[in-house]
Amino acid sequence: MRTYIAKRLLIAGITLLGMSLLLFVLMRMAPGNITDIIFESAGYVDEADRRKLEAELGIDRPLIVQYGRWLGDFVRGELGKSYRYDLPAWEVIKPRLPITLELAVLALGFSVLLGVPFGVISAVRRGHPIDYVLRVVSLAGLSMPSFWLAMIVILLLVRSIGWIPSMTYVSPFDDLRANLAQFLLPALAVGYRSSALIMRITRSTMLEVLREDYIRTAWAKGQRGTQVVWRHALKNASLPVVTLIGIEFAFLIGGLIVTETVFNLPGVARYLVDAIQFRDYPIVQNLAMLIAIVVVFANLTVDLLYTWLDPRIKYGA
Amino acid sequence: MMRPRPLRPLLSLTAVLLLLALAVVPATGQAPKYGGVLVTSPLSATPSLSPHEESTVATTQQASPCFNNLLAYDPTKKVEGVDTLIPELAEKWSWQDNYRNLVFFLRKDVKFHDGKPFTSQDVKYTFDMVRGAPDAKAKLKVNPRKLWYDNVEHIEAPDPHTVVFRLKRPQPSLLLMLASGYSPVYPAHVPLADFKNKCIGTGPFKLKENRPGELIEYVKNPDYFIKGRPYLDGIKFVVIRDRSTQIAAVQSGQLDVVGSGWNRTNAENAKSGAPKLIVIETDSNVNDNVLINFKRPPFNDVRVRRAINLALDRKAYLVGPRQGAATYGGALLPRPAGVWGLPAAEVAKLPGMGDPVKQKAEAKKLLAEAGFGPSNPLKITVSTRALAIYVDTASWMVDQLQQVGVEATLEQIETGVWHPKMTRLEYQVALNLTGIGIDDPDAQLFENYRCGSQRNFSGYCSEEIDRLMVEQSQTLDPKKRLALVQDIDRKLQADAARPILGWGKQHYVHWPHVKGWAVHENSIYNVSRRQDVWLDK
Repeated sequence: MRTYIAKRLLIAGITLLGMSLLLFVLMRMAPGNITDIIFESAGYVDEADRRKLEAELGIDRPLIVQYGRWLGDFVRGELGKSYRYDLPAWEVIKPRLPITLELAVLALGFSVLLGVPFGVISAVRRGHPIDYVLRVVSLAGLSMPSFWLAMIVILLLVRSIGWIPSMTYVSPFDDLRANLAQFLLPALAVGYRSSALIMRITRSTMLEVLREDYIRTAWAKGQRGTQVVWRHALKNASLPVVTLIGIEFAFLIGGLIVTETVFNLPGVARYLVDAIQFRDYPIVQNLAMLIAIVVVFANLTVDLLYTWLDPRIKYGA
Repeated sequence: MMRPRPLRPLLSLTAVLLLLALAVVPATGQAPKYGGVLVTSPLSATPSLSPHEESTVATTQQASPCFNNLLAYDPTKKVEGVDTLIPELAEKWSWQDNYRNLVFFLRKDVKFHDGKPFTSQDVKYTFDMVRGAPDAKAKLKVNPRKLWYDNVEHIEAPDPHTVVFRLKRPQPSLLLMLASGYSPVYPAHVPLADFKNKCIGTGPFKLKENRPGELIEYVKNPDYFIKGRPYLDGIKFVVIRDRSTQIAAVQSGQLDVVGSGWNRTNAENAKSGAPKLIVIETDSNVNDNVLINFKRPPFNDVRVRRAINLALDRKAYLVGPRQGAATYGGALLPRPAGVWGLPAAEVAKLPGMGDPVKQKAEAKKLLAEAGFGPSNPLKITVSTRALAIYVDTASWMVDQLQQVGVEATLEQIETGVWHPKMTRLEYQVALNLTGIGIDDPDAQLFENYRCGSQRNFSGYCSEEIDRLMVEQSQTLDPKKRLALVQDIDRKLQADAARPILGWGKQHYVHWPHVKGWAVHENSIYNVSRRQDVWLDK
């Protein structure tokens, strides 16, 4: 187990290194840099001033030097300075991280709380009207992009009750009720798509498991239905579901960009897009790396959950 | 011997009180109420709180409540001009030495938000910095309006409450530039870098909180030098990027007023969901213009430029991309909203304004003369900024050009690199939007049409026009100057220097409880102090 974890950590490290290189190269391949944007948007180009600013920001140096310096700083926890706001990058990112994390966790919570039970019910009641209803609901969830759903939710709310969630961020430590009112709808909008996917996977794996001999044996022994379904069948059907949840977490971050914009939540996902537009390299690179770390470790956690879910699984040395 | 008039002092006092009351009470007849926080959403997040370093209305909107200028445009007048200038930090001013010296006499009761007194040294510091004087005490990293102060030779501060601007030649426009939202006075004792995220000014509101990209909140400045102002306890700018979310936010009552960058459809949508909302539609002095790259063949051929100009039917532009909300004009906004534009009768005869069938036939003829026809069509890329307000008009342009046999395709350019590409003339034909900081020929013409100007995005260059620009700039007689300016405009239109499709209108919506929300018809940049806004709640 320890060897397995060590191996996985090594692979995670290599993945993150590759990710850092990709991020760095992609940002440099995009046309223009922050000095172009600052100077030429103002209709003013003084080459001496531009060179001075490039030197100040360190973007006049060879790319390999810039990359090495950034990576070294990142490993040491020094995230540099936002070019756009002239503030330490961590100071810009820090207040935004909890917002995105709260939204992501709530959305993931919704997707699991809706997806798993509905998938189980749909499988157990196969061919029953409720199965058809749930399948339509899941198909709708897969078909509707979360940004569209978010806009519809906002429109319906304002037109029907004249209320929408607060447009300025409310911290849960200041007012938990207002915070939840602000986050529940966007979380539901994002979580619905994931829940649909989780429901479909849960249903199909449950259908397979329910046909297994040991389930038939359990029925034959006269065990209670709930025990057979939730304890024996679901636990054995949950491996692909857990894998999917890990993958969905990564997709969810992507989905948050638009949802944060529509619901005006000042999280990191929305901010990342702004930073890309302004070629704010320290913010984009460090933020994307932080997100990559969260995704890589979320997947690692999922892998480690396998042994708990299915004790037959042994990790090779 | 005069008869005694015992009631005379009483009558005089009554008259003075009545006049004062009339000055204070708005036209609605309601007495303003104090208190409340106005919540609005700006065009976008501001890159900083330093108007001298930025070129977006988002900055003037969000920074102006913090600052004051030497003088300002009267917010209650719809049209900005030399007649609507009012004192701010300067009590009065005087042109001397045949308009070669501009002297300002400053108020003595003004303090910055940190308690330090405002003096003539602050004015000298600010404008020496902006004009890039060799002995300036600070240097701006980016100085977009250095050109405005090119004619200032020297600034003197003979005593703490007098400032003298010495000019190289007479320039009546200088007053108008100093009144712009882009020309506030900075405190000399505060490091320039602080204005990236903080604000110390003399204005009616003090910065309470700045969450960059998210929120800017101001509170009332209790020591403001204009007694009784501001009415509001504070202003909150909430950055909402999504237009439909902005609409929902105002409908739900979370915003009191909104509309920067909105079109007519946005305003109508907002009102349809909340019928009590009040819609303001006025001119804006922001034009849709066609950039034709003079440095790239075949666009250096005037026949090709004229053909493109003729192909773009302005009436279709008005009903199509502008949804009926635009004003036709030349290089300067026409009357009544503007001061310097061509007369309506002349505007009606500009290319693109006539019968579309005839004009398209003429465009085809001109293209044929230039060597382009069905067997050898002119192939062009129409570039534009990847924002809806640009893309809508550019798509319409592509369709119009295809109707005269031009094989036009649309290229959307990411907003971050839009201006760099235009500055480097890396395009063929482009659809651009230009907001005019002040409705003044010096500001508009020098910046956008002068040979070598960095915002002259089409690369147009005419020695004659340059000469005429300088001539109008120092002409003191307003009538003569207007004639000169209109002459320049005619020549620019004939050269298809930067064809103007039209001047878009601005749309604001606000709840009835918002009073005194001023909007100017010939600039969106100079009316954001908001000290006269109050809430009838």
